Amino acid sequence: MTVAGTRDKAGPLNPGEYAQAAVMAALSAATAIIAVVVPFAAGLGMLGTVPMGLLAYRYRLRVLVAAAVAGSTIAFLIAGMGGLMTVVFCAYIGGLTGIVKRTGRGIVTVLWSSVVAGAAFGAYVIGILLLVGRLRELIFASMTSNIHGIANIIAAAPGGERAAEDLRTGFAAFLHYWPVPVMLSMIMHIVFVTLLGWWALSRVLKRLFGIPDVHKLDTVESAGRVAPVPTLLRDVRFRYPGTNRDALGPVSMQIDEGEHVAITGANGSGKTTLMLMLAGRTPTAGTIDRPGAVGLGKAGGTAVVMQHPESQVLGTRVADDVVWGLPAGTTIDVERLLSEVGLSGMAGRDTGGLSGGELQRLAVAAALAREPALLIADEVTSMVDQEGRDVLLSVLSDLTRHHRTSLVHITHYNDEADSADRVVRLDGASDNIEMVATAPVPIVAERIEPDGPAVLEVRGVGHQYGSGTPWESTALRDISFTVHEGEGVLIHGLNGSGKSTLAWILAGLTVPTTGSCLLDGKPVSDQVGAVAISFQAARLQLMRSRVGAEIASAAGFSKHDTARITEALAMVGLDPELADRRIDQLSGGQMRRVVLAGLLSRRPRALILDEPLAGLDAASQQGLVALLAELRRTTGLTVVVISHDFAGLDELCPRILHLHRGELAEAPVTAGERS
Amino acid sequence: MTAPATQRRSMVLLRPVPGTSPVHELWAGTKLIVVALVGVVLTMYPGWVPIGLVALLVMLTAWLARIPRSVLPSVPRLVWVLMFLGGGTAALAGGEPFLDIASVHLGLGGFLNFLRITVLSIVLLGLGGLVSWTTNVAEIAPAAATLGRPLKWLRIPVDEWAVTLALALRAFPMLIDEYRVLFAARRLRPKVRPETRRERRRQRRAEIVDLLAAAITVALRRGDEMGDAITARGGVGQIVASPARPRRADAVALLMVVAMCVLSVWVEVATPLATHRL
Repeated sequence: MTVAGTRDKAGPLNPGEYAQAAVMAALSAATAIIAVVVPFAAGLGMLGTVPMGLLAYRYRLRVLVAAAVAGSTIAFLIAGMGGLMTVVFCAYIGGLTGIVKRTGRGIVTVLWSSVVAGAAFGAYVIGILLLVGRLRELIFASMTSNIHGIANIIAAAPGGERAAEDLRTGFAAFLHYWPVPVMLSMIMHIVFVTLLGWWALSRVLKRLFGIPDVHKLDTVESAGRVAPVPTLLRDVRFRYPGTNRDALGPVSMQIDEGEHVAITGANGSGKTTLMLMLAGRTPTAGTIDRPGAVGLGKAGGTAVVMQHPESQVLGTRVADDVVWGLPAGTTIDVERLLSEVGLSGMAGRDTGGLSGGELQRLAVAAALAREPALLIADEVTSMVDQEGRDVLLSVLSDLTRHHRTSLVHITHYNDEADSADRVVRLDGASDNIEMVATAPVPIVAERIEPDGPAVLEVRGVGHQYGSGTPWESTALRDISFTVHEGEGVLIHGLNGSGKSTLAWILAGLTVPTTGSCLLDGKPVSDQVGAVAISFQAARLQLMRSRVGAEIASAAGFSKHDTARITEALAMVGLDPELADRRIDQLSGGQMRRVVLAGLLSRRPRALILDEPLAGLDAASQQGLVALLAELRRTTGLTVVVISHDFAGLDELCPRILHLHRGELAEAPVTAGERS
Repeated sequence: MTAPATQRRSMVLLRPVPGTSPVHELWAGTKLIVVALVGVVLTMYPGWVPIGLVALLVMLTAWLARIPRSVLPSVPRLVWVLMFLGGGTAALAGGEPFLDIASVHLGLGGFLNFLRITVLSIVLLGLGGLVSWTTNVAEIAPAAATLGRPLKWLRIPVDEWAVTLALALRAFPMLIDEYRVLFAARRLRPKVRPETRRERRRQRRAEIVDLLAAAITVALRRGDEMGDAITARGGVGQIVASPARPRRADAVALLMVVAMCVLSVWVEVATPLATHRL
């Protein structure tokens, strides 16, 4: 991404601006709430200036204002007036630093403008205090009481009379001339926070240079009739700006009315680029013929459902999401659409509680609300569990039967392409064209006698969220099992089975409400870090900007210790040259390996992997599993994998535990049973 | 949520208490108006009578909405300590009014001032809490859009703000989840404590930048994906399937609150019951 994003000159916000304003508003509301609610965390509130500053730096003022309104409303709903004021304050100062940064000025400009801004803010606060006379008097009287009380205590001490009197008169003078101290403290405060915000924003901006832009779709303005099919692609090629090879093509293909076409190929073969072409981007070479406009998101036009379930869904309630974005005044039969995707009766549910598969089906319903002529599903199942995948696929393959919709299904799973009328294979420039086979569910867990001493002992663990409140919910019930040294265990469960909670408990990050989780006989929560855990979102676990520094920081050695960094990289099968690479230039598979390199360098007692294969293509999946299996065999590493999938994991994890709605569905082989 | 599993109750954000009640069914806009109105009255006239009346309103609403006492998060011990200190020093200030018990002559003025400002804050927090305990998040943005409609005459982009608010409310829990992971990942790292104080300060600064950069990267990525999703829907438009409208119950509730506010102001301005000016 160019850090200074695209700026429209005027007019309403565009989709990208809306989305960035919303997430930055949520981010600064979250910091403001923590600052208000947690005692002594007020300093943290100042960091809320950074997201707002970034917004002001990248976009126009209108975006910042929208974010400030949204953020302050959320902060008000949760933390009251204090929260609201914190967000407004952050937007004010962040906006100031961001705009100064954008116009390319330096620290002197920031300093002067912050003095002026401080004076303006001070005048505003004084004005408000003048307006609310009685509240001002009450606050001052209350402060006076506290000061007098302290003065009385001082006076009681021998020889304290003078000091007490000074305190009383001093404070009285302070209150008498209150606008002066208020003004001065406001200016000082604003100057301080502005400089802090400036420093943080500069550092963060330097870091953000080189974050790839993952935004894909662009609105294509077009007049005339909307009619995307039949589409005819002739020798289409596409090359991203700034690269020196084609990401796609040449491709020639046709998509007819009501047809179900599957497009397969490995990562890097240009599947997603082809999706962009179908969604309206202009190819660098070749032609795309359509009878009319693409009409992305328009009635009778093109609809796209993408990979990440959570990001697809924009409404807070199921029914709201179905209509989200429809032109005002359009009415549709929400219930009919929901029943078509198997979500009938869920119109009133909150989208936050849906599983990945349900979210994707909801996204399909929202797409159908537009009666699209062309529906593109781009790797929609890769983050969905097995059960969800089956239902989603059957919904998709029924579409072309009940609607006059052409379906283009992009996938890297073999069997998903089977139900299509036609399969198009993209071989692309990449050489890893192997496809992922989804594994059938093993009926019976293999009972392999574990040997070696117990490493992790889970004894009667149960966990509740929000215990004692009306929102109480049970995630785990009475779980007991033992993991032995050198063992490979797969904890298998669907979305919502409590498996992530269990992973957090095994790593000691969550203390279970009942029972205990022991590592070498002592509670694991007292030894955080001894059990390594690799989270599903690898990016969240990578904090430094470069690979070498990241591994050194995670493992606890100096970033100048090249020998150990090289060793760590070699252990996970990565080239030592990668050490200087920026984290954000890595692929998903590489990120996961870098995380592992950092974790394994600490020689953990056990390694927990939460959904290690999600979002990886076939070659990366096989490579990662083979690597882990090898490590387990050669170093005796204890591995616990938490997953909704079985594919290819049998070598790494001979023992399988099933987790169903917070309970172990099958009796595992425990130490107790053996003896 | 990652807090140790003692019997402390954690704060639950932006989720109404399960079930329904006449208060749950009120239009979200009505609740926002009430909070704003009461806020203004209490800021202008923070006397005992208005505070008492609002406290009564809070309790009555909580009873009508069947809010159990367990919604309240545990108060950190530190807050109790601070309250005790504040109350203690204020009580020692003495001042009018005086209370004579046998030969003991007590000045309650200072303590009463402290008590009034504390109760005022608690009552306002309670009122805000009631809104979030009885209102579905999805209703807030449409209500704000309706309430802000008059501002359109000033060419203020109210609808734009409402859409941003709705999206921010949708993104909020997702970001919170991601930050939980971020902080957990940080906890897992080995703690290296540098020798010198200067090094320690440098390390702390580096850590803040690391966390900020990671948090912003995550948010940017979310934003990019959300932008794609909006583009895929053909831009913004409707945000709610069946917009709720104010009904008779809303009018009744609003009239009651307005009457209460008028009564408060009248007492404070024109009757001897007014809390005397200090």
